[in-house]
Amino acid sequence: MAQSIPLDITSRAESAGIASRAAAVPWQVWSGATAVTSITFGLYWDISWHMTIGRDTFWTPAHLAIQFGGLLAAVTCIYLIFSTTFATDPALRDASVRVWGFRGPLGAFFTAWGGVLMLTSVPFDNWWHASFGLDVQILSPPHFVLGTGINGVVLGATLMVVSAMNGADGIAKEKLVRLLLYLAGLQLVIHMMLLYEYSDASMMHSALFYRVMTIGVPLILIAFGRASGHRWGSTIIAAVYTAWMCAGLWIFPLFPASPKLGPVLTNVTFMLPLGFPILLVAPAALLDFAFQRTSGRGRWFQAAIAGTIFLAGLISVHWPFADFLISPLARNRIFGQNDLPYFFPPSRYYLICEFRRLDPTRFARLSGFSIAWMSAIVSSRIGIVIADALKRLRR
Amino acid sequence: MKKALLIALFASLELAPACLAHVGSPDVYFQGNAGPYHLVATIHTPPMIPGVAQIEIRSDTPGLRDVMVTPLYINGDGSKYPPPPDKLQPAADDGQFFSGSIWLMDSGSWQVRAQADGALGAGTVAIPVPAFARSSLPMPKSLGAALLGLLVLLVAALVAIFGAARREGTLEAGEQPGPEQKRGARKVMAATLAITIAALAVGDLWWTDVATANTNRKIYRPPSLGISLVGDEMSLHIAESGWHARRQDTGMGALIADHGHLMHLFLVRAPDMDRLYHLHPQQDSTDPASFVDALPDIAVGHYRVFADIVRSSGFPDTMVKEIDIPQTSGGPLAGDDSEAMAAPLTDRSAGKLVAPLSGGAHMIWERDPGPIRSSRLLWFRFRVDDASGKPVTDLEPYMGMAGHAEFIASDFSVFAHIHPEGSISMAALALAGASSGSAPLEESAQTPAAPEMNMSAMAMPGMAGEMATGSSTTPASAEVSFPYGFPKAGVYRIFVQVKRKGKVETGVFDANVD
Repeated sequence: MAQSIPLDITSRAESAGIASRAAAVPWQVWSGATAVTSITFGLYWDISWHMTIGRDTFWTPAHLAIQFGGLLAAVTCIYLIFSTTFATDPALRDASVRVWGFRGPLGAFFTAWGGVLMLTSVPFDNWWHASFGLDVQILSPPHFVLGTGINGVVLGATLMVVSAMNGADGIAKEKLVRLLLYLAGLQLVIHMMLLYEYSDASMMHSALFYRVMTIGVPLILIAFGRASGHRWGSTIIAAVYTAWMCAGLWIFPLFPASPKLGPVLTNVTFMLPLGFPILLVAPAALLDFAFQRTSGRGRWFQAAIAGTIFLAGLISVHWPFADFLISPLARNRIFGQNDLPYFFPPSRYYLICEFRRLDPTRFARLSGFSIAWMSAIVSSRIGIVIADALKRLRR
Repeated sequence: MKKALLIALFASLELAPACLAHVGSPDVYFQGNAGPYHLVATIHTPPMIPGVAQIEIRSDTPGLRDVMVTPLYINGDGSKYPPPPDKLQPAADDGQFFSGSIWLMDSGSWQVRAQADGALGAGTVAIPVPAFARSSLPMPKSLGAALLGLLVLLVAALVAIFGAARREGTLEAGEQPGPEQKRGARKVMAATLAITIAALAVGDLWWTDVATANTNRKIYRPPSLGISLVGDEMSLHIAESGWHARRQDTGMGALIADHGHLMHLFLVRAPDMDRLYHLHPQQDSTDPASFVDALPDIAVGHYRVFADIVRSSGFPDTMVKEIDIPQTSGGPLAGDDSEAMAAPLTDRSAGKLVAPLSGGAHMIWERDPGPIRSSRLLWFRFRVDDASGKPVTDLEPYMGMAGHAEFIASDFSVFAHIHPEGSISMAALALAGASSGSAPLEESAQTPAAPEMNMSAMAMPGMAGEMATGSSTTPASAEVSFPYGFPKAGVYRIFVQVKRKGKVETGVFDANVD
């Protein structure tokens, strides 16, 4: 049972200060949001850079954007942790958690952890390049370590928003809800960029695509959508992802660029975008609708409904949309289906106009979709657990 | 536990088996003319592709100011869109020596187009570069230890952070955690540890899987060679190769002739290297992967077989095999076939600079004094004197070249078939020349003999010895020379083949390489 501490007059005054601070959006929240935006933009740019220009150094502008985001988050968290640990103001310490003798907001520790993991990935990635070749694969083990670190940074920033949001009200709360949904949208963008190699239009009539989409997407949509308390939280998160990807799709090609290494198998003359977004808005809206209708039911029941309706919604929207994406009608600047990287061999051009046969048998397809269904339910259940925890977060 | 896990991870990434391609000699040594400039180039290819190669170019023609290099495939899709060229940097103390790096993003038959510009005008030469992944690298122990330390730290930190989240994360400001929170925190920490270890175990499996797939997919392996001997007829069959099959659309299938022959077959008696046969099997008319050769008289013994072929992209393969050859009763050597006999190779046989030829003639190795170092460009110059000790004037082209040289390590881990143009295949050079619009081989060969390189060249990294004289296809004098660098220390035997009075003569020399 939690103990209540009697407050003296000074403490009451400090509590009033905390209350007034809660009415505004804390500076570290803005700092964290800026860092996450910079990292997300840098990642998008970096993948585009690898597809278009190819030549990679530590100092490419895309890497600088990622490093700036990481540095800003690190400085913010170091300041928060040290100022809280060694603060004379007990109010700061009282609103913090303790890890290894240090005190600070929970989100700051996650961000610091993610930052160290990002740094760890650097020598690992360098060795991987020397051992297995320079970057030609997004989802390699060292990149997964980097991605986990970035997710740690983003999660930390998000937790700082959530703890501030849970203690705020009025306009400040509305602002923080919007910030939370924005950051969750960026988290979805990062997640989808890691899955970029599995989200090609030619794969959208295979179980593999739906298995990949159900591993983490429902979790992100549900965890942060429900935690926000917004009726259409998941829908807004998916809309942020969609808007980001559309902006990239339509803005990046405005910048001329060409490969700086060979072999150049496909001629490229502008910065390549990362393709048309997956239509996650539709299943996300179905998720929100389902939760509105099952709010009083058990968590597993909600997860079963959510997972099922997410997968069903995704299939019913994306299966026919894939037919469009694979058609000549989508090979234009609006849908970007003919944006091929410089290393794409002409012998594989058929992949932009026909589906890959990734399910060799009917049984393989059936079992693949069964796994996707189970995955969607489990992912939804974990999302609900995280959402419940986030709603209780105060520090 | 975690240490054992990481050790298991590292153990799965042992150094790949030594690559057999081109048999242990992957660097490119080249001489040729870029317009008015006579250039000598060394290209150190990376052990893994994609990777970065180091290139060094020296001009022995004064007046060169700039060298720009462009890497692209010799033919096919990768040859249509050259990336922008890179400028090589001149050495601070030698304006005629340039160096830099080039990115090779896929295995295949590359060319490096070198554009030379200076006081004498501009010119271009295309240097063939067969690029292929040779080996993956084991993780250095220091890096492994550092990553292991970070792994332990990060796992411990994650456990502590989740524990703090459960213990204090949901409390209002100022509220202290009670027994329930502390108990819950311990459970969460235990669960976090278990989940993290499980995730690391899955990561271990994935890492091993990706690393194995990378190794199998990328590391070059020459096709295996099947050999059968019936009477005096040797049949050879080039087996299917997964590495080549995956690259069919980059010209890794069909064969093209290299100075007139689809296959150059070298039989070297092991372990003494006292016999060498340079033969040219004929392709089967119905099966392009099969060859037959009517063997000449061959001394009985155990032989190492090296079979050189060139793909339609210009990519060379050297297949290796060991066979026992019984007494044969074939006819005399025919066509371009040749043989050589020498004393057995021993650790003490290096140092002789004169090799006997037929009719009392001799071949002299005009070797620079001092030790021979590995991994640097050397000029191997050989002069043929007649029985009276005068330089001969009647050398003829042998298969279109002034000479051929085979450099073989005593343990057979290195086999390199070199020409006066360098270590590249002549077929690839012709393809690259045609692709780039630079001087084709015949034209290049007719250029005047290059002047000797001054002594300062010998001090440059990767450059030693004197520049060749004479041209590549037509012996201009009694001398023939080859640019080459030994890939590693050891004892080597060098077979130098020239043609005189319609007969192939072979000088045999040994070298101790530091």
